[in-house]
Order: sequence, then structure tokens, then C-alpha cells
Amino acid sequence: MNFALVSQLLGKVLMLEGAMMAPSLLVSLLYGGSDAPAFLWSMAMVLAAGGLLALIKPKNDQLRAREGFVVVSVSWILLSVFGAMPFVLSGAIPSFVDSFFECVSGFTTTGSTLLPDVESLPRGVLFWRSFTHWIGGMGVLVLSLALVPKMGARSLHLLRAESPGPNPGKLVPRIGNTAKILYTIYVALTLVQILLLLIAGMPLYDSLVHSFGSAGTGGFSIYNLSIGHYQNPVFENIIAVFMMLFGINFTVYYQLITRNFKGVLKNGELWLYLGIIVAATLLIALNILPTIEGNLFDALRLSYFQVSSVITTTGYATTDFNLWPQFSRYLLVLLMFVGACAGSTGGGIKVIRLEILLKSLARDVKRTIHPRGVKVVKSEGRAVDEPTINSITVFFFSYIFIILMATLLVSLDGLSFETSFTATVSAMGNIGPGLDKVGPMGNFSCFSPFSKIVLSLCMLAGRLEIYPILMLVTPATWKKA
Amino acid sequence: MNIIIVGDGKVGYTLAEYLSKEDHDVTLVDRNQQALDKATETLDVMGVKGNGANVRTLLEAGADEADILIAVTTHDETNMVCCLAAKQLGAKYTIARIRDPEYTESISLLQNGMGIDLVVNPERASAMEISRLLRFPFATNIEAFAHGRVEMVEFKAMEGDPIVNTPIRSLPGRIPRVLYCVVQRDHDTFIPNGDTIIRPGDRVHVAADLITITQFFKYMGKNTQKVRSAMLLGGGHIAFYLARIIAGMGIKLSIVELKPETCAMLSEMLDEVTVIQGDGTDQELLDSENMREMGALICLTGRDEENLITGLYGAKCGVGKVIVKVNRLNYMDVMRDMGTDSVVSPKLTTANLILRSVRARSRSQDSVLEKVYRILGGEVEVCEFTALEGAPFLNVPLSQLSIAPGVLVAVLVRGKKIIIPFGNDHIESGDTVILVSRASKIVTLEDAFR
Repeated sequence: MNFALVSQLLGKVLMLEGAMMAPSLLVSLLYGGSDAPAFLWSMAMVLAAGGLLALIKPKNDQLRAREGFVVVSVSWILLSVFGAMPFVLSGAIPSFVDSFFECVSGFTTTGSTLLPDVESLPRGVLFWRSFTHWIGGMGVLVLSLALVPKMGARSLHLLRAESPGPNPGKLVPRIGNTAKILYTIYVALTLVQILLLLIAGMPLYDSLVHSFGSAGTGGFSIYNLSIGHYQNPVFENIIAVFMMLFGINFTVYYQLITRNFKGVLKNGELWLYLGIIVAATLLIALNILPTIEGNLFDALRLSYFQVSSVITTTGYATTDFNLWPQFSRYLLVLLMFVGACAGSTGGGIKVIRLEILLKSLARDVKRTIHPRGVKVVKSEGRAVDEPTINSITVFFFSYIFIILMATLLVSLDGLSFETSFTATVSAMGNIGPGLDKVGPMGNFSCFSPFSKIVLSLCMLAGRLEIYPILMLVTPATWKKA
Repeated sequence: MNIIIVGDGKVGYTLAEYLSKEDHDVTLVDRNQQALDKATETLDVMGVKGNGANVRTLLEAGADEADILIAVTTHDETNMVCCLAAKQLGAKYTIARIRDPEYTESISLLQNGMGIDLVVNPERASAMEISRLLRFPFATNIEAFAHGRVEMVEFKAMEGDPIVNTPIRSLPGRIPRVLYCVVQRDHDTFIPNGDTIIRPGDRVHVAADLITITQFFKYMGKNTQKVRSAMLLGGGHIAFYLARIIAGMGIKLSIVELKPETCAMLSEMLDEVTVIQGDGTDQELLDSENMREMGALICLTGRDEENLITGLYGAKCGVGKVIVKVNRLNYMDVMRDMGTDSVVSPKLTTANLILRSVRARSRSQDSVLEKVYRILGGEVEVCEFTALEGAPFLNVPLSQLSIAPGVLVAVLVRGKKIIIPFGNDHIESGDTVILVSRASKIVTLEDAFR
């Protein structure tokens, strides 16, 4: 393990976080600034820590897969620890464990909150809470790849460890340019959403916060009723569409920009993702129609918003879907497992993995009929090699396994099965709300500090796709050989 | 520039390494996922899996917008089809490695029809290199610059040579004046200055015109006679090209080859050569064919290890000149330590040739790159430029130019005159300028004179 290099990179990431706190400080000053000192102190702390770490000069800059994974997982933990400082120092969330939970929930774009009354928080803190979604959505190491020139050829390992999906790769030969393209698309889409919300009449502060929330597929709102606060169908539809857009693989946008329409058409994951959204929207709309006040269009609107919000793992709500019929509630839980597309800002298992798993299931069934038949699993017109299928299967298992085990730990609190189970599913998938007590109108304050830590780790494992976090607790990672 | 390299073998990988470090956008295409993974994990390049002759793969790699496509797969035919397809798709410049003598005969026809802008033939280039070494056996390596007017020669300094253990600036004046360009000591490669002291065992590169070089080595007491007879092990493409090149130079050549069919073919195509069918690693055979009396032993079989061992055996038997071909460059240091003096690497030669043409396409107003030569196993290279009219560094004494650190202006060639420059010399338009510098730092002359 090249510790010097790891700490230098961690230092750079922390300094970047310090810089990222500046907009929140500004917002806090604009709104009276009761929380401004908290930001100043936090910035000073994170910059000092980052600066000290960055001073370490590595003897060689060999960044192997191992260092890449460790940098990513440790930096996410450190980011959350330091990111929690403004909450603690401003007094908004006095307990450190609670602040850490809230901050992990922000960076991992989960959006689960502990706060029963969000609206009472100072404006700067609320802004920071949502801004962490935006940073965490595309990833802070990807950002540092885009901003810091020449992180070295081997920094591909950073991109791989931080970007979701089975096979994250480059869009263009240079890794720095790849990161720049990703962030340009990200910034551009976010700006368009802010603009549309402004035109529709949402106040500037609100549209910034909600755009960050949907861009990172996070889900923190500044209202206790989430998006339902406005009772405004136009806002709801804009946000629903953009959540869906941010759940699409960013490669698709690059292909659209470079006029590679064939590539978009052949993208099986994209069509499966859109197909699932359409089907789920229709099913839920029909199911909830008798229970709501309004016509089919209202049902479709409510259902589309919730489907888009859950499948992209954002977690905004326009209504309390916890009160919906059992079929719809369960369908939403299923969507929590599916998640968004690989290479997007969303979480969950990812549509592409589901696609490949289903195809290999079909293949294996066929194999029992024709024991000597040969059939390869294809995705986007290419054969998926067996090691990839294998690792997807193992990923799927470990995802489910972690959820089951975490539920066991959380059950110590003695809450209902529905609450415990959907809380871990939602933490692992970076969604936000679950059902019952942690439903869209509830919050996570009912859990013990121990459960909050467990859920925080689940969120990190879900965001970084398990392996970086598992690596941290594997002794072989830290051995010299 | 956007560069696509088809074929992620040794040459492809080496090129990708050089070119990505020179800030080009490199995409590698190969059918072997493992090879691609290795390249994408260690270099800042993109990998595309697939057959490089397939239009879909080429499009995925961005051939339609590529500035240069380099086809270096193992198959000549694939390389040609790659270039053809890429050219049709819109690639601006295509380079193909073509090695089979059957194709090289009709190469111009193929080149035009296939849209190949540059054909690189590593075996032929290596054969050229070997033929030069046969003419100047005192050199471990020899490279011609300025159309053969300047030679750069590598040799190993020995205890008792007049140039060792004295700072270069205080060497006696009666030693013929050559320029000391590069010194390699242990695992270090550096550009010497006046205070450098050459030690026994150093590998030294000197440059001058041919006559001065010959005088220099005569003064050093080295054998300057050209080789009269040579034994060649392995009858591959290099052997064939070499026989063609040295035909008429008065060198008696015998080729030892294992495969009877190849022997028959060589004997059919080459008239003045003795072809012997047998195992080149068999000492009995070598002795009975009188290897000890040969002027040179050239080991060109397909296996590095065999070449090396046989070469060492030849050197032990007292053969004056031993030349060894290697494919894997990682062993270079070991070979040097073991005492094999001349090493030829077709892979590195190919990479050098291609690197030159890629650099030559980086547009420059003030100079044209003529040649790049990378010192084997070292991070130093020698570049040859032609200075063009209007460049800002013309007619200014060198002492007043700010020359980039680590750059040595080695030789100026003006017409037929060869100048080893001092501070008050200057560059004129049309001069050939030969520079020695750290690898990949100098791409145009302006880089050297900022």
C-alpha cells in the first residue's frame, strides 16, 4: 500500500471539499448568517487537514487498483466526517452521529433525514445539505480528475471505484477529458433544470436546492412535505422528468452530442429503464385511481413522479405513498432494488445488471433444455464475457446479503419489519424514504445511534458499489505484500 | 492529435506509451481484452475491443476523426485492410507495418491502392542496421544522420582507452575531435558536459562525420576493418533482407536455418549465400561450419534466449563481432551486463520509425523533423531537424539563445560542412540540426530554443 500517495490524494479531495463549502457560506451570509461561523470553522478545519495531508510527497506515484479503491472509500468517509461539521457547529443537529448520518445521506445521494422539522433549519445549512447531493452524485474524485491536470495515467482506478456500473470506462482517451465531459453534461443539465423551475415560478433558492437534489438523485428537500409542499403540478412534472434524465447513463448524452444516434438506439439498458418506468407508472396509476381524489391524469401524474423518484433513487415525494394500496407500495419497493442506469448519478442495483442477470437466467434455462447448446449473453450487440456475468451475480448476492444482515442489526431497535427492512433497502439503494415509520412523511429519528451507523455504512456501500467498503475491512488490503 | 493504434502487442504498447506521454489522444484496438486491460490500467489511453479491420470497431474507436491510424497487428493483411478501411472512413494519415518480402516487392502498388501513407518494415530496417554494424564492427550501435553525413556510434569504453579517466574538456588535442553525446553508466543515461569523466565500462555515444569517426577509433586502437565473413542463425525475414542488402559488399554470408523448406526457398532466392540446414544452437554444427573463424555471428532466431546463449558462446569462442536480435526489451540491462555488445530490436526500430512520422506531423513553422532515434534502454533521444526560413533562432550565436535545460546541440550540417558547434556558432536557414535531449521533451526546434 502506497500510504504517502493515498494521503496526498485524500488531502487534495479534502481541500476540494473546503472549496465546495464556499457557496453555502455565501448563502448563509445572504440570509442573515446565523450559521456563517459554523461554515468558516468547518472550512478552516477541512482545509487545514487537507493541506497537511497534501504536503506528504509520495516516493512514487504508482496508483494501483488497491490504492484506487482505498482512496475512494476513505475519502468518502472523511468527506462525510468533515461535511458533518457545519451541522454540528451550527447547532442544527447537535449529535455527531446524527450529523454524520445526515451528511452520509447527503453525499451518497440517499436523502434520508433524521430531522422531524426541516423547515426550522438555517438557510446555509439547508443549502449545504442539498449541495452535498450534487457533489456526491457525480463523485468528488471524478471532479478532482476533471480539475487537477495530470493526476496520472493510472487514475483510471479512481474513476472505476467511484463511478457506478459493472464496467465504468472512458468516453475519450484522456481520463481528465472524460471527467470534464461528464461534469460539463452534469452542470449543463442542472442549469437547464434550475432555469425551467425558475420560469415555472419557483423561487431561486428553492429551485437551486431542488435541482441539486434531483441532479444528484438525492432527495433532500427544504420542506417537511418534500415537493408536495408546493401542490404545483408544473414543478412536479419538471422535477419528475429531470430525475428520470439524471438516472440515464451519461454516455447516452455524450453519444447524442457527438451525433452517435445508432449507439443510443442500441443501448438496451436505456430502453429497459424507460420501459420499466412506463409500465410501473401505468400499473400504479390504475391501482391508486380509486383511492385518490381526482381523475386518471392526476393518478398518472402522482404515479409518474413517484416511480421516477424511486427508480432513480432520488426519494422526493409529492404525496404520502405509504398510504397507497399494498400493490403500489410493493412495486415501489421493487423499483428500489432495480435502481437507475449504470454511469448515471442514481443508485440501486442498476438496470444493466438486471438486464444481464435476466438474460443469463434465460440462457441457463435454455441450457437445461439443450445441454450442449452454446449461447452467449449479449448486451448492446456485444457478448458479455463470463467473468463480467460472474461478478454481476456475486454483486447481486452481496447486495441482497448486506441488506438482509443489516436488517437483522437494525431489528435490535424493535421497530416493525416493514420499517426495518425498507429502511435498509432504501439506505443501500441510496433512495431516502422507505415505508411505514420511515415513509416519505416520516423520518429516521426513530432509530438508535447504532442503527444509524449501520445504515450510514449501508449508504456508503451502496453508493460505492460495495467493494471499496468491503476492501477497507479486509486485512490483506493493508498488508505490505 | 487523435491517434488510433490497431494491435496492442509490444510495438503497439510501446507506441501508445510514447505517444500518450507526448499528449496525444491514443485509442488502442485489439481483440485481446487482457492486453487492453493492461494498457488502459497503466497508460492514459482508451481501449476498444474488436477486430481492427472491422468497420464497426474502427468507427467505435473514432477512425473517422482520427489524425493518424497505425496498424501494427501481427498480420500484414489485417494491417493493410485496417488502413484501407480507415482511409475510406476519413482517417487523415495511415501507417501500416508490412514485413513479408512477398509484399514489399510490390509495395508502391499496394500503398497507392490501399491508401497507406507510410509502410514500416521492421525486418528490413533491422537488416539495414545490421549491415551498418558489419561495416563498422568497432561500434556496438551505429545510426546515420543527415543522409549519412553524420554517424552516431555507440561503443564501450575500456580500461586503457585514451579517453577514459580524464574530464572531456581536458582530453589531449591529438584525439580526433568528435562530440560526446550520451553516456550510459550502470542504469543511468545522461548527456555529458565538459566536466564529465568517462569511466571504463561506460557506453558512450559519439557523433562526427565518417572520416573523423574512423580516425577516432583508429586512434583508440580499435579494429576498423569491415567484416569479411558472417554467420547468420535463423533464416527469417531479416536474414533475407540482410543478404539482399550486403550482396556486393564482399561479405561472405552463411545462413543456418532449421526448416528444410525455408532453406530451399532461401537458396532459390539468394545466389551468393551458403545455406546450411541445421539447428543453430547445436555447438557441433557451429564448430564444424567453422564459426570460430567468422568475422561476425548474427543471431536472429525467433527466441530471445537462444539468441542470447548462442551469442555468448560465439563471443567466448572469439568471434570478433556478435549481433543479437531481441524482441523483449525488458532484458536489455541483463544482456548488457552479460557482455553481448550489439543488440538489434526490430520492435524498437519500428517504434522509432513510427514515432518520427507522427512527430513530423505535428505542424511547425520553423523546422522539419527528419529523424528521431531513441537510445536503447535509456530515456534519451537524438532528433534531427531542418531549420526553415523565418525561424526566430536563425543567425543568433548559440551562446545568446536560451537553450532548454538538458538539451545538447550536437551537430550542425550546412551543405557538406559538418560543424560541431560552440557558443559563437549559429544556425542558418536550411541547416540540419542534431539535438540530444531527454526523451519526448523536444518535438520541434522551437521547443529547444524557447
